[in-house]
Amino acid sequence: MTPAEPAQPAEPTGTAQPEGAGEPAQAAESAGMQFGIFSVGDVTPDPVTGRTPSEAERVRAMLRLAEKAEEVGLDVFATGEHHNPPFVPSSPTTLLGYVAARTERIVLSTATTLITTDDPVKIAEDFSMLQHVSGGRTDVMLGRGNTGPVYPWFGQDIREAVPLTVEHYGLLRRLWREEVVDWEGRFRTPLQGFTLAPRPLDGVPPFVWHGSIRTPEVAELAAYYGDGFFANHIFWPASHTRRMVELYRGRFEHYGHGSARQAVVGLGGQVFMRRNSQDAVAEFRPYFDNAPVYGHGPSLEEFTSQTPLTVGSPAQVIERTLGFREYAGDYQRQLFLMDHAGLPLKTVLEQLDLLGEEVVPVLRQEFAAGRPAEVPAAPTHASLRRARSESAAQGER
Amino acid sequence: MTKLAVVTGGLREPSSTRLLADRLEASVRAELQGHGRTVESEFVELRPLGRAIMDAMLTGFAAGPLESAFETVAGADAVIAVTPAFNASFSGLFKCFFDVLPEETVSDMPVLIGATGGTERHSLVLEHALRPMFSYLHAVVSPRGVYAATDDFGSRTDSGLGERVGLAAADFARLIESCGARHRRDAFSEDLQSMRRLLDDSG
Repeated sequence: MTPAEPAQPAEPTGTAQPEGAGEPAQAAESAGMQFGIFSVGDVTPDPVTGRTPSEAERVRAMLRLAEKAEEVGLDVFATGEHHNPPFVPSSPTTLLGYVAARTERIVLSTATTLITTDDPVKIAEDFSMLQHVSGGRTDVMLGRGNTGPVYPWFGQDIREAVPLTVEHYGLLRRLWREEVVDWEGRFRTPLQGFTLAPRPLDGVPPFVWHGSIRTPEVAELAAYYGDGFFANHIFWPASHTRRMVELYRGRFEHYGHGSARQAVVGLGGQVFMRRNSQDAVAEFRPYFDNAPVYGHGPSLEEFTSQTPLTVGSPAQVIERTLGFREYAGDYQRQLFLMDHAGLPLKTVLEQLDLLGEEVVPVLRQEFAAGRPAEVPAAPTHASLRRARSESAAQGER
Repeated sequence: MTKLAVVTGGLREPSSTRLLADRLEASVRAELQGHGRTVESEFVELRPLGRAIMDAMLTGFAAGPLESAFETVAGADAVIAVTPAFNASFSGLFKCFFDVLPEETVSDMPVLIGATGGTERHSLVLEHALRPMFSYLHAVVSPRGVYAATDDFGSRTDSGLGERVGLAAADFARLIESCGARHRRDAFSEDLQSMRRLLDDSG
């Protein structure tokens, strides 16, 4: 089977047409690209002070950062999902529901929602509900999860992660698209006459990104369904990201969703900034050296040359980030990892000020310059709804 | 043309491990040339890659020079792997290299194993450490490995090292011959192929 769904809508901007009665504010549509932050939600001791925040503090910090992201003009806040310490965000839509009430404009997403260990029925319900709560400011990034012991806690087996992903995601799509679902598979009890409640807002399912650090299967899955592909882009060299994005774009075209340039790409990124680049390096070094994921290995200098990590002035961050386009093509979403490795909340809030005030405005302008017309804007609820009503209108003709 | 990759884990200069690797390489080359083949050998010395190997262990990706070493092994038709014996096993550095080598790289690969040590009492390191590891990696391990002790390099009487090297090389050359042309293995493409089949079946 080759699913031939329409490519993502390409229209750049526009005010959302109010459709439902008494609908809350619609997500803002940015001129083409979305910029935001994503958080892993790790509880890590601050290597400078030796102090470990409590879980309560960490959760409050994540909520504060999400609000701050909107305050400084970012477009997206995404939270990770983890079911084991030292991470706190086990229940992303609870967290995002709170953020939805405290914000007006920002898009709420995940990085990533575990399509393997979460029941697809519950994912469908949670994100459908969040769509209604947030007035359509919701999308979701799916991932497999790579922590073996978590799988059996949810009745699954990591050795089946790939077939599990394919089956669960196939079901999730149907739950969001079909009124009544009869379904049978290998990994979950069958469904007879199941109807999702609430139905997706305006009948438009949340846009789906598929997030990957290193697995090419994820790029293939995203391409197969014409969904977005998000390359983590933090832990591996740019050469790897180039290969994955090229694969996804090529297969997106192969499956008939549009041209390779019309495929919907997101990238991660990791920065630490001070006005003076030496200050940034000096301040960030102890956090880098002790970071849970890459600490005690390569030096900060080696890692910044080998991966997209940028530690320096806002101007350096701008230059490096603009360079991503050279190997990923014109893309739709840029998320930065800012709160990790034990950085104190105050510091991260300062980072967001720099990001929102000095970096992102320039990135918006520069990325927009020379962006080919055929490259679609980042999909939003409003653009997907418009695309759906347009294709329905064409159907009537 | 037959491409040989020679992985050698000696630490000192000069290294008896490298000395053994050189002798194995020369002997295998002569055998293959006797079969009418041309041979191209490339050495992968692990000591200069020490930090890169440990960094790869910690970060999950290989820096440039280590990536080239991976490429040398992946592109070879056969591998000669030689390690010093430390604490009744291969050296940690040698093991770490194969721990970070991308999966499937030595699947179906003819491999000749060798080891060096202070005394011949460690010679079973070949059978108890190297052979099981390469079997696990789905390499085709040549039946005769070569162990060389200090005496082999310094004794007044001939210890028979030359003969052991010659016999091992002859076996290995026959193994390479009978394995035929090697198809390079690549986990990235293989995972993709199985994903495509899975998606086709799901539709």
